[in-house]
Amino acid sequence: MITINGISKEFKEGITGKRVRALEGLELEIKKGEVFGFLGPNGAGKSTAIKILMNLIFPNSGTAQIGGRDVRDSEARRVVGYLPENPYFYDYLTTDELLWFGGRTAGMDSNSIRDRSDILINQVNLQSARKRPLRTYSKGMVQRAGLAMALIHDPEVVILDEPMSGLDPIGRKMVGDLLIELKGQGKTVFFSSHILNDIERFSDRAGIIIGGRLKRVDTLQNLLSGGKNLEDVFMREVALAEGVTAV
Amino acid sequence: MTTFWPIALITFKEGIRNRAIYGIALVALMLFGATALIATMVPREVGKVAVDMALSTISFAGLLIVLFVGINLMAKDLDKRTIYTVLARPISRSQYIIGKFLGMILLITVTMALLSLLAITAIIILKNIHAGYFTRFSWQAIILADGLTVLMLIMLSAISFLFASFTSSSFITLVLTIITYIIGQSLSGVKALLEAPSYEIGFNVSPMTIKLVTAVYYLFPNLSLFDIKLQAAHALPISPSFVLWTVLYGIVYIVLSITLAAIIFRRKEFP
Ligand SMILES: Nc1ncnc2c1ncn2[C@@H]1O[C@H](COP(=O)(O)OP(=O)(O)O)[C@@H](O)[C@H]1O
Ligand SMILES: [Mg+2]
Repeated sequence: MITINGISKEFKEGITGKRVRALEGLELEIKKGEVFGFLGPNGAGKSTAIKILMNLIFPNSGTAQIGGRDVRDSEARRVVGYLPENPYFYDYLTTDELLWFGGRTAGMDSNSIRDRSDILINQVNLQSARKRPLRTYSKGMVQRAGLAMALIHDPEVVILDEPMSGLDPIGRKMVGDLLIELKGQGKTVFFSSHILNDIERFSDRAGIIIGGRLKRVDTLQNLLSGGKNLEDVFMREVALAEGVTAV
Repeated sequence: MTTFWPIALITFKEGIRNRAIYGIALVALMLFGATALIATMVPREVGKVAVDMALSTISFAGLLIVLFVGINLMAKDLDKRTIYTVLARPISRSQYIIGKFLGMILLITVTMALLSLLAITAIIILKNIHAGYFTRFSWQAIILADGLTVLMLIMLSAISFLFASFTSSSFITLVLTIITYIIGQSLSGVKALLEAPSYEIGFNVSPMTIKLVTAVYYLFPNLSLFDIKLQAAHALPISPSFVLWTVLYGIVYIVLSITLAAIIFRRKEFP
């Protein structure tokens, strides 16, 4: 459902123009109906990969497809719901208006937008705030509005960049429940996190990325085989990446 | 239209609810009050002064809206990344620019219509009080002057879109737009001055300078064309062909600016 073929990306940093390699030859294939966790420390290149999938930035080399369409084609995003990292929406719009926008641009009619909005707003628990401008929301509320926005058109593919960050325990549980529900509906989910526990609990398969390079990709079962926990596996990869022999 | 309309509508809503709009409306109200006050101080000229000041107030308030509400709308999209909300949808970069610009046109048109209503009310009140001094007066000229002002503002907004497409900060966009406005307002004057025979202006102008000014003249929008406030105030005749050519010039400039902005936007990254 999501294919990434040998993507590399360099950024030029600041006025000095110093080059930063954010991704190097990233290869990934995410199958339909799979919940894929993208694990890596801060600055590993997770958001960079996701932004390339959303065509917000362009790779220096390599290509990517979603649902068989090249991501440079705006139609590829018809089946995608996306939650950016630290989302920021229009200050003076309400969640209802935001969802109307999301539904309309996906070709939904007013009735289905209203029905779907009611369901989602209940799910993310924004009933009392839905008619208030987003500038009056807390960070967690904005994040939840963003989740509803990502799901308004019932997309086949859901891409979430650090969906749990900035949420309290109740919010994290809500996101977890949503992930499980999406999986039950057979949706393809690609989510990033730097929190081991989130990856361990919700993903079928995970990729560990460090310093722009994908170190391991496997089912959770295989990653954790032999009674290891994800922390051991992850720390070992970090140590290897730093050139230190693992203990 | 199915893709443009939702973008235009959220742009309009985000703009019209901006606090700055209330501030600008307040300034306009105060200026309309001042118009009434000053106009009555020059009883013989009250008609001309009232029309000139009312039209100037409209165009000043409109300029503030384009510069501070309009550019801010675009700026927030780029600086705070609200643009992700739009680009995550099945919407191309060109559709984004056009939708956003249609929202700006809606915002300018609606706010200017409300301001014009206030201005017309002020003029009607003064006209009733000082009926004797409104002999040379034409509603048609006033409406025409108002319409051209709106077109000029839409043009300036289109140019700000072009700047926003290649600058890296909204502050630079704002500065470039203000510079364009100032140059655009004074262009005709400078060109006329340089082209005048040297014995009339008292110094020699090198051919190089003339070429440069001519180039600038054709590159920058000639915004002074759209300013017929004086003719309106004096109820002077305005030739239909002048209006036609000016409107055409404005539309061509707008279409070119937005097309270029869309082309540049296609290659823009939003990291
Ligand atoms: N706009 C940018 N300009 C320069 N460097 C960037 C930019 N965005 C990201 N980077 C760099 O690319 C690397 C990967 O960043 P990112 O993908 O955001 O990491 P993650 O999401 O995994 O925390 C980091 O080293 C970061 O500093
Ligand atoms: Mg990130």
